[in-house]
Amino acid sequence: MVEELLFFMEVLVGGLLAGTMYSLVALGFVLIFKASATFNFSQGAMVFFSVLAFCGFMQDFNIPFVPAFILAALLMVVVGLCTERLVLRPLMNASEDTVLMATIGLGYVLEGLAQAAWGVEVRRLDLGIGDFPVPWIADNLKLFISALDITAGLVAAIMIIGLFLLFKYTKIGLGLRAVADDPGAASSIGIPLKHIMLLVWSAAGVVALVAGCMWGARAGVQFALVDLALKALPVLIIGGFSSIPGAIIGGLIIGAVEKVLEVYIGPFFGGAIEGWAPYVLAIFFLLYRPEGLFGEKIIRRV
Amino acid sequence: MNNTSANILDIKNIEVRYDNVILALHDVSLKVPKGKVVALLGANGAGKSTTLKAVSTMLASERGKVTNGSIEYDGNAIDKQTPSQMVGLGMVQVLEGRRCFGHLTVEENIISGAYSRKLSKGDINQELEKIYTYFIRLKERRKSQAAFTSGGEQQMIAVARAMMAKPKMLLLDEPTMGLAPQLVAEIFNIVKELNTKEGVSILLAEQNTNVALKNSDYGYIIETGRVMLDGTAESLLNDDKVKELYLGISKKGRKNFRDVLKEESLTKKRSN
Repeated sequence: MVEELLFFMEVLVGGLLAGTMYSLVALGFVLIFKASATFNFSQGAMVFFSVLAFCGFMQDFNIPFVPAFILAALLMVVVGLCTERLVLRPLMNASEDTVLMATIGLGYVLEGLAQAAWGVEVRRLDLGIGDFPVPWIADNLKLFISALDITAGLVAAIMIIGLFLLFKYTKIGLGLRAVADDPGAASSIGIPLKHIMLLVWSAAGVVALVAGCMWGARAGVQFALVDLALKALPVLIIGGFSSIPGAIIGGLIIGAVEKVLEVYIGPFFGGAIEGWAPYVLAIFFLLYRPEGLFGEKIIRRV
Repeated sequence: MNNTSANILDIKNIEVRYDNVILALHDVSLKVPKGKVVALLGANGAGKSTTLKAVSTMLASERGKVTNGSIEYDGNAIDKQTPSQMVGLGMVQVLEGRRCFGHLTVEENIISGAYSRKLSKGDINQELEKIYTYFIRLKERRKSQAAFTSGGEQQMIAVARAMMAKPKMLLLDEPTMGLAPQLVAEIFNIVKELNTKEGVSILLAEQNTNVALKNSDYGYIIETGRVMLDGTAESLLNDDKVKELYLGISKKGRKNFRDVLKEESLTKKRSN
């Protein structure tokens, strides 16, 4: 009995921590959705692009870890700058659907650029954190939990707190939320949309880099990261597209549910249900709570 | 450039097109003297909003463009400025339909108006207190989410938010739309107070001719993108044509200004 419970705990905790990795990816989506009400389809490509560039700087140019990370972050700011100038500004008055299509195109461009610059082979990313159980926890709590999962959890927590403070208590955060609500009104009172967009895309780029590092360390830096980022979609449907806490909780739920279902129900379906179980959960949310757990309610005065 | 003229805003014969095709304004000229309230009157689609947006440079975001004529604000020509630059110069537009940030609290909405200014937390609180003296109602509701406030309160939020940018000139687009008469009076009282106490010049687009003229110094009546008549508020209120067409004191079922003017010229010809 005790062993079964321990096993369940291990599955649950492992799932929750793996879920924070989804949360990290989802965060990037939320940032852009909040400011421009657009689902940024190129977020996955940004994850791939940023972490591949990071690996490239380290492995091809022998730049040490920290400067390489800073360079990659700066590169993402440049990507944000170019995106604002070349894609968003010309589409300033276009409908949200048009911008959505543009982000799909942007995704392909980034994927292509990344592979043209750094090659197509899978790269190994060593963060110096092993993806194996931490001995101390294994000995004392009898749980096998990966050090990488714990790190991802900590990193996610720090980023969430940081972003939350930014949105709630800074002038820029207020500007961001104002633009998210009504860009026209925001510009009428002197909030420069250009700067806000630039900021949001740069921030989303840096978040993508962090998420990419975590995923790259686990699964290798490869093209599959692009599709993996789409796992953020059910996370966002459950947590709410416009909510940072929602992205976190949504990620945790998806992580936990998919692992628990995989272990206990998976065998009845012949296994590998974690690939689609989150989407089934997302469908239920779409039916019964379309704004997600923490999404901003669609307020309409009658 | 040095501004010696008495007008804070001087619009000369502007023509505005949307999408390079649709002619929204044919020929509009108007002046707003410093420290005065000027009403821009007319029916739906007459070109009131378009005129205001031409001034605040918000036209570009709706694919509109001033294709002829000139606009001078505070002595300088307006052409390539962005809306946020105009706010920096002290010209703020309160858009039609209030447009509050629904998910922000009332207070956050108002503070957002100070975005273009470099103020410390203390300065912002000081400004906020000053704004609340004009909008007492909003102080009581400062922590509520703006989307859940009433229409009148939302209009006050929109004006208060604009005032936080410390404007020299406000452009108000139909501030009383859809409000009960009592609230209309309240809004106009506040506008009048801002004008006299803060010295803000105001250009006001309204359909509510009577109330607007009673609270203005000067008025322009536009129809299908042209200025049809202008004069002091008092003279317009007493003008027979205005009475008939816009104040509902009508003898016959005439449709618009052009008809009245046509008829007038006909009677003149006949009497000659």
